Amino acid sequence: MAFKIASSPHVTRNLQTSTVMQRVILCLLPGLVVQCAFFGWGTLIQVLLAIIVALSCEAAVMKLRKRSIKASLSDNSAMLTAILIGVAIPPLAPWWMIVMGTAFAIVIVKHLYGGLGHNLFNPAMAAYVLLLVSFPLQMTTWIAPSTVALNTPSIIDSLQLIFNVGAHAGMEQFRLGIDGISMATPLDTLKTDLSLGLTTTEIMTKTIFDGSTGVGWFWVNLAYLAGGLVLLKLKAIRWHISTGVLAGLFVASNVGFLLSPDTHASPLFHLFSGATMLAAFFIATDPVTAATSPRGRIIFGALIGVLVYIIRTQGGYPDAFAFAVLLANLCAPFIDYYVRPRTYGHSAG
Amino acid sequence: MLTLLDQLDKGTLWRSPGGIHPPEVKFLSNTTPISQLPLAREYLVPVPQVGENCTLTVKVGDKVLKGTPLTQGTSIWHLPVHAPTSGTVVAIEPRASNHASALPVNTCVIAADDEDRWCKLTPGSLELSNQEMIAKIHRAGIAGMGGAAFPSHIKLNPVSEIELVIINGVECEPYISADDRLMREYSQEILAGISIIHRLLAPKRIVIAIEDNKPEAIKAMQQAVSQSVLPTGSVRVTVIPTKYPSGGEKQLIQIITGREVPSGAIPAKLGIVVHNVGTAFAIHQAVTQGKPLIERVVTVTGQNVGKPGNYWLPIGTPVEHVLKHTEFHAEADQKVIIGGPMMGHALPTIQVPILKGTNCILVPSSQEIGTTPEEKACIRCGECANACPALLLPQQLFWHAKAEEYDKAASYNLKDCIECGCCSYVCPSDIPLVEYYRIAKSALKQAADEKHQAERAKLRFEARIQRLEEEKLAREAKAKEAATRRQATMTATDKDAVAQAMARIAAKKAAAAETTADKATVEVVDADASNNTEAPKGKAAVAAAIARAKAKKAAAAAQGADDAESSQQVVSSLQTASSDQSEPTEHAESLSQKDKVAAAIARAKAKKAALKADSDANGDTEATVSANQPVTESAISTDTDDKKAKVAAAVARAKAKKAAAQQAESTDVAEVQPKHEADAKPESTNESDDGAGNQSSSDAEPSAPLSPEDEKKAKIATAVARAKAKKAAAQQAESTDVAEVQPKLEADAKPESTNESDDRAGNQSSLDAEPNAPLSPEDEKKAKVAAAVARAKAKKLAREAGASSDANE
Repeated sequence: MAFKIASSPHVTRNLQTSTVMQRVILCLLPGLVVQCAFFGWGTLIQVLLAIIVALSCEAAVMKLRKRSIKASLSDNSAMLTAILIGVAIPPLAPWWMIVMGTAFAIVIVKHLYGGLGHNLFNPAMAAYVLLLVSFPLQMTTWIAPSTVALNTPSIIDSLQLIFNVGAHAGMEQFRLGIDGISMATPLDTLKTDLSLGLTTTEIMTKTIFDGSTGVGWFWVNLAYLAGGLVLLKLKAIRWHISTGVLAGLFVASNVGFLLSPDTHASPLFHLFSGATMLAAFFIATDPVTAATSPRGRIIFGALIGVLVYIIRTQGGYPDAFAFAVLLANLCAPFIDYYVRPRTYGHSAG
Repeated sequence: MLTLLDQLDKGTLWRSPGGIHPPEVKFLSNTTPISQLPLAREYLVPVPQVGENCTLTVKVGDKVLKGTPLTQGTSIWHLPVHAPTSGTVVAIEPRASNHASALPVNTCVIAADDEDRWCKLTPGSLELSNQEMIAKIHRAGIAGMGGAAFPSHIKLNPVSEIELVIINGVECEPYISADDRLMREYSQEILAGISIIHRLLAPKRIVIAIEDNKPEAIKAMQQAVSQSVLPTGSVRVTVIPTKYPSGGEKQLIQIITGREVPSGAIPAKLGIVVHNVGTAFAIHQAVTQGKPLIERVVTVTGQNVGKPGNYWLPIGTPVEHVLKHTEFHAEADQKVIIGGPMMGHALPTIQVPILKGTNCILVPSSQEIGTTPEEKACIRCGECANACPALLLPQQLFWHAKAEEYDKAASYNLKDCIECGCCSYVCPSDIPLVEYYRIAKSALKQAADEKHQAERAKLRFEARIQRLEEEKLAREAKAKEAATRRQATMTATDKDAVAQAMARIAAKKAAAAETTADKATVEVVDADASNNTEAPKGKAAVAAAIARAKAKKAAAAAQGADDAESSQQVVSSLQTASSDQSEPTEHAESLSQKDKVAAAIARAKAKKAALKADSDANGDTEATVSANQPVTESAISTDTDDKKAKVAAAVARAKAKKAAAQQAESTDVAEVQPKHEADAKPESTNESDDGAGNQSSSDAEPSAPLSPEDEKKAKIATAVARAKAKKAAAQQAESTDVAEVQPKLEADAKPESTNESDDRAGNQSSLDAEPNAPLSPEDEKKAKVAAAVARAKAKKLAREAGASSDANE
C-alpha cells in the first residue's frame, strides 16, 4: 500500500492564529467591562456596531478577492480590529463615524495592502487617526465618568444618541457636554489647564482627577493591564513590545516630571491615563505591523512609549497612541533590517 | 574565572536559545527491554551506504556469512557494508531507498538461510595500536548512530587536538527511546567503547550528556562511570534539561560548554568531538569482538503498532518485515516515519531497509499525528524566531524563500538552519517553514553548482582561447621563419643572376656613360672590386667600378658575409640588418597600402623594403641598398620597367640618404658599435651622391640602354627624390627619439615623406609614375635646375649628418 508522504516536522503545537486572536479578544473583555461601567453603554454599542461592519467588510472583500470567506472570518482578526476601534472611540460618537472608521480599517488599511499579515499599518489605529483628523470635535469629546457625571445616559439614550433617531434637542446636549454629561478627558484637561498656567497640583484637584490619575481611567487601564498580563501568561503575546512601550513612556515622563514637576504630570498619571495599557498590550503588540526580532520589538515598543509622551506633552492632541503606533509601524521594517539576532556560530556584528 | 574544564567538572550548563517542548511520548517504547525479531526472509543491503567509490566483493549467487564484507572501498570516506546474516546473494539491483523520495539505489539482496552463521571474527584487545584500532573501526563500517551516519573513524582520527569528547545520550526527539534503552541495558559496553574513544582521542574530559527525562539511563551510566577504569574525573555524566533540540550536535556543545561551533566549521575546531552512545557501543563491539556494524537498536513506536518497543534489527531488514512482526495495523492515510516526528522522513513504501542511521520507525495514528493543516498567512508573530535554536529569523527566511529570493534568504544565514523543525512546530499559521528552507537550500545549492560549472567552463574557454592564440602565434612565427628562409634561398640564387646582370649592365654603361668619379664610393668598394669574379675586369670607369662594387657587395651580403676580407662596414651592416629585419616588412606593407597615387615611388620603396627584408645587401645602410636595388631590379625586370626602376632608384636613394641622416642623429646606446659603423657607411654613400653631382643619375643610367628622354626623366626624378630626402632628413635631424622608437619612426616617416613629396613635387611625381610621358624642354630645364638645387641641399645635409655622426662617435 502507499503511505502518506509529508515533510517534517510531522507534529505541530496546534496553536492556531484564530486561537491567538481569540485569546486576545477574551483578554480585552475585562477592560471593556470596566470601560462600560464608567462610561455607559455607548462603548458596547460601538463595539458591536464595529464588529458587524468589520465582518461584513471582511466577507465582501474576501468575496471580491475570491478567497475563502469562512477561513478569513474564522481567524478572528477582523473582529479584534473592530473591538479595538470600538473601545477607542468616544462612547457616544455618531454611528457613521465608527462605520466609516471600521470599513476604512478593513478594506483599505488591511486588504488593500494584501490582507492579514501584509498590512503595513495597524488597521485600528489608522482608522482612529482618520476619524481624529477628520472629526476632531467628536473624537475628543468623551462622556464623563459615571461617578462624577450629573446624570448618565441609559442604554436607550445611548442608542438614540449614537443613531441620532428620536433624539430631542436635550439629547444633543449630552454629546456637546453642555449639561456636564460630556467633558474633556483627563489628558485633555491637563493639556488645556497647563496651557492656562495652572500647575499639575492645582489641576489634579479637579473633579475629573482623583488626586493623581483620572477618575475611571485608572481602573480602565488597570483592567487592560490585567488582561495584558493574562495574554503574556498565555504566550499569546511576548513581553518585549509591551515592556518597551511602558518603559519608554515611564522613562520619558519621569524625565519630564523630575525636570519640572509643576508643568509635567507624574509617570503614574501617564501610565494610567488614556489608552496606555490598552495600547501597550493590545494595540502595539499587533505582530503584523510590529518589528519581528525580540530586540527589535523592545526598540519598537520603546519608540512608541517615547513618541506617546512627546506627542502628549508637545503635540496638538491630548492622547497620542494612534499616532505613535503608526509612526512606529513605519519604522518597523527599518528596525527589522538593522536589528537582527546574531545567528548561532556567527561572530557578533 | 573558572576554566572550561572546571565548569565541565562542576556540571555548569549553558542555555541554548529557542527550542520547544513537544509531547515526548517515549513511554510507548521505553518500558520494555530491547528484543529480537525473527529473521527476515530477505535482507536489502544498499551498497554502498556511506561514501562512494567502492567495489562489490560478492556477486549474485555467492554464499555469504553474517558479517562478510559486501563492499570494498578505496576512499577513506567509504564505509564497508556487511552481510547482516548468512545466506545467498540473490540479486544486486536497484531497489527503493529508505528516503522520502524512495529513489532506487543499488541494493544487495541477501536471502537468509536461517542459520545466521557468523563469519570468522577477529577479537581485538586494547593492546592494539591506535592506528590498528582506527583501521578496525573503519573496517567494521561504523557510522554515527545518531542519524547523520558520519564515518566514525574519521572523527576518531582528527587532525587537531581534542580537549573534550561529548557522548550524546540526549535523544531529544519525541517517541525515540533507542539510546535510552541501550544506556539502561548496555552501560558497561558503552563505557568500554568510551574507554576506546578516550584512548584514541586522549581528551581532557569526556562528558556523557543525557536529558533529565531518562532517569534510569542516567543512573545506569553514572554507575558504569563509577566502575570504569578510566582516570577519576576524566569522564562524567551531565544531566541536561529536556528540550528539543538539545541533542543536536551544535546545541549540545552550546549547552555543555557555552561555546558555539563557528558557522561552516566542525566541532573539532573547538577541540570538541561528539559521539553518540550507540556509536560508542558499536566501537566497543568492533574493537573487542571484531564485530562489524550489522545491527542496531531501532525504536518501533506509534499507536498503530501493536508491540511498540526497541529491537535489535540487522541493517538491511525491510521495514515491512519489522512492522509485520510488531503488529502494525495501517489506517487510511497512514504515515510511516523513519526517525522522530520532528526530523524524520515519511516513507512512500515500506519495502525499504533499515540503515545504519535509522533509529526509529514511527507509525502514528491519525489522532497522534494528523494531516498537515492548510498553510495560512503569516502574521509575523515571531514565534518561529523565539523557537529557533540557531537564532535565525525564520519568518524573514520564509518571506524570501517563498518569493524565491534565495540570495536574500542566504543573506539571512539560511545555511545555518539545522532543519530541526521548531519553527514549523510553533507556527500558528501552519506554514511548513522547513520545507520552504529545504527548497531554498537546494535551489541555492543548484545555483552554486551551476555557478561553479560556469566558472569552470569559463576557465576552459579562456584556456582554449589562449591556446588558440598561442598556436596562431606559433604558426605565424613558423610561417615567417619559413618565408624568411624561402626568400633568403631565393634571393641567394637570384643574386648571382643579379650580380651577373649588374655586371653586364655596368660594363655596358661603362662604355657609354660619361665618367664621374666618386672617391667616396670607391673608398667603400674598391678594395673588394677585384673579388668580384663575374664582373668584367679592367674597367677603368669609375662608374663601372661603382656598379660593380655594389653588385659585389650585394653578393657578398648574400653569402652571409663569410668574406673575411670584406670591409668591416659590410659585416657590421649585416649585423644591423638582421636586427632590423622585421621592420622593413611592415614598412613595405604600409607603403603598398597607402601609396596608391605615387605608384612608382611606392613600388620602388616596396622593392627596397623587400630587399631589406631579405637581409641581403644590408639593413641599416639603406643608402647602399637603395643604390643597388634599382639596378638589381631593373636588371631582373624587363626593359620596359627600366625607366620606372630608375625613377624608383632615385627615390630610394633619397630615402636612404634620409635614413642615413636619421641614423646619424640617433643617440642610441645599446648598439653603439654596429650603429656607428652603419652610420659611417651611408654617410659615405651620401657623399658620393652629393659630391658627384650627376653621379647618382649616372649610377642609374648605365643600368639600361635609355632613351635621352628617359634619362632626363630619371634625372628629374633624382632631383625630386633628393629634395624629398633632404626634407625627410631635416625632419628627422630634429628627432631625438630613442633607439627602440627609431625603427618605427622610420617606417612611419617614410610614407609620410612620400606623400609630402607628392604634394610638393606636383607634376613631377606624376612624372615619376608615368615615366613614358614626353617631357617638354622647359620641364627638362626646370628639372635640372631643381635637381641641382636639391643636390646642393642634400650635400649640405649630408655634411651635417656626417658631422653629427662624428660627434656621436
